[in-house]
Amino acid sequence: MSAVQAASLPAVTTPRKRRFRVRPSRIVINVVLAAVAIFWLVPAVGILIISLRPESAFEQSGWWTVFTAPAQLTFSNYKTLLSAGFSAGGVLDSLTTSLAITIPVTILVTIISSLTAYSLVFGRWRGRTVVFLLIVAMLVLPLQMALIPVASLYNFIGDTTGLKLFGSVIGVIIFHVAFGLPFGIFLMRNFYTGIPHDLLEAGRIDGAGEWTLFRKVVMPLGLPAAASLAIFQFIWVWNDLLVALVFLANNSHLTLTLFLYGQTRFLSSNYYIISTGAMISIIVPLIVFFAFQRYFVRGVLAGAVK
Amino acid sequence: MARVVLDDLTKRYEGGALAVDKLNIDIKDGEFICFVGPSGCGKTTALRMIAGLEDITSGEIRIADRVVNNLPPRDRDIAMVFQSYALYPHMSVRDNMAFGLQLRKTPKADIDKAVEAAAKILDLERFLDRKPGQLSGGQRQRVALGRAIVREPSVFLMDEPLSNLDAKLRVQTRAEIARIHTRLEATMIYVTHDQVEAMTMGDRIAVINEGVLQQVGTPKELYEAPLNRFVAGFIGSPSMNFIDLKVSNEGGVVTLKGEGSVLRPDDTMSVLLRDSGLDTVTVGFRPEHLEVGAVTGPGLDVTLTIDVIEFLGNDVLIHGSSGGRDVVAIVDVDNTLKVGDSVVLSATPRRLHVFNPVSLARMIGTG
Repeated sequence: MSAVQAASLPAVTTPRKRRFRVRPSRIVINVVLAAVAIFWLVPAVGILIISLRPESAFEQSGWWTVFTAPAQLTFSNYKTLLSAGFSAGGVLDSLTTSLAITIPVTILVTIISSLTAYSLVFGRWRGRTVVFLLIVAMLVLPLQMALIPVASLYNFIGDTTGLKLFGSVIGVIIFHVAFGLPFGIFLMRNFYTGIPHDLLEAGRIDGAGEWTLFRKVVMPLGLPAAASLAIFQFIWVWNDLLVALVFLANNSHLTLTLFLYGQTRFLSSNYYIISTGAMISIIVPLIVFFAFQRYFVRGVLAGAVK
Repeated sequence: MARVVLDDLTKRYEGGALAVDKLNIDIKDGEFICFVGPSGCGKTTALRMIAGLEDITSGEIRIADRVVNNLPPRDRDIAMVFQSYALYPHMSVRDNMAFGLQLRKTPKADIDKAVEAAAKILDLERFLDRKPGQLSGGQRQRVALGRAIVREPSVFLMDEPLSNLDAKLRVQTRAEIARIHTRLEATMIYVTHDQVEAMTMGDRIAVINEGVLQQVGTPKELYEAPLNRFVAGFIGSPSMNFIDLKVSNEGGVVTLKGEGSVLRPDDTMSVLLRDSGLDTVTVGFRPEHLEVGAVTGPGLDVTLTIDVIEFLGNDVLIHGSSGGRDVVAIVDVDNTLKVGDSVVLSATPRRLHVFNPVSLARMIGTG
């Protein structure tokens, strides 16, 4: 109970007493939340500890033994992994490749989706609803269905124009952008429909053209949606294995997911590399999430009209 | 400062609905004109066409002798205050007011000066760095006015700017807008459904119904000489009473009779009624023009059975029925009338409006 609430209570009980009384329902909620949090964190903590134990320790004892024998913790795995530097096939090279794919895809999807949504919501052309419905229909199209046709299309383009899309980072970017757009447009369009048209009309009278309206009025208001879209998009592309596997398999520069996948073996996988690489790959999405999370806060629209 | 001319202005929506039908109004430079009418009458559509937010089906709009039909809003030299205020929620009050000037590439020093000046007029100086969400309804409305003022447009367009305010604030802001108009001497077009607002603020009022202009005139003209039954009933509060009377001509003496009411016309009225050849006419009279007691000589007597008495302070509002029609009268507070009483009320010929029951146009009345 907040101090504000407590202070406004009748004077029969002193504020001090009230402040320390905790409702039983809150205890239950907190216990449940803590249990869920621990349950979710166990695998991540496990991987973190495995990455901090020596290579040989993996086969000798479980990671939880670290709580009784903390002396086994070491950064040796990280040193080994990072010692390869940025040479092709190393973890840092994969990190760079992953960033080279994920950053452009995230930016392109967010911008193109926002612009398309603006046109769908505030544009004055016929057939906007039909186009939107077609885009929504594309949402149900499974990505896996398009892999082979797109691969052969890339090959065809490569054969006829010499433009190498198959096996290249550009090809992967185009594929991800194409498959990220339906959801992006859907999300942004639904958010923009909540922006009062009066605001744009006021802007038009103030002297703004469409581009200025988009940049100065609609985009700032759509920031929470754009931030969520960017985070989703970033994490999806960052964690993608399938598209990279199909389009980048014969490329010397791998994505992080491909790098980790490459360390799995039929009999004995390199768990110390996988766990360490996984920790490195977690860091980037975490940074992205914490950088953008404040935009998740709603209520930017409060006070627009009325 | 500019003259605004609407010439056969028409708006037909794609579905075929006619929102505005051949609107012709000549708005003088510096005039405060109110477009008034019931909801859906086309007044807002007309305003939006002047603003350039709505396409024009046919006709012409001229602002400062320039045809603006195909000009975008920003090139029309207008500012608009929206019913919903339409403030940019992510910008501070200062930026909201400065936005239009910034887009016009006005030097920053000039913008600051204009914003400060507008803020001073509207008593917003303390709030310049706040966001609209942190302001009350009245303050937001003033910001919306400020945004229009700083631009110094030739024409101000206002779309029911007071309808979201409470009664007290509405009266205050009404006076504020009137002051701004006197100060800036700009042409103002003000849309409202509230005839009291229109009567108190407008130099002239344009009454619109179902997309058709009914009458344009000063508040006094509309009150005293409404051109038709719609204007007569719309302007004035409480609204005008209407009763149907049968015209009889006995040996050259014209009398009008209804159930519980008699009208003895004066000479001019008699001639007009005789010449019209109508059997029945609708007679209108305002509640405030009724007196208790029968009239001697020409005039209207209405016998009323009182249903409800409302105490207004200085006056008393009495509701009742006469010959099946509801009649309202404002009488002096000293009367000892009670519910259930039958009372004779009267009005002099000068206060009567006679309408053709078919065309609804006014035949006889003052003005």
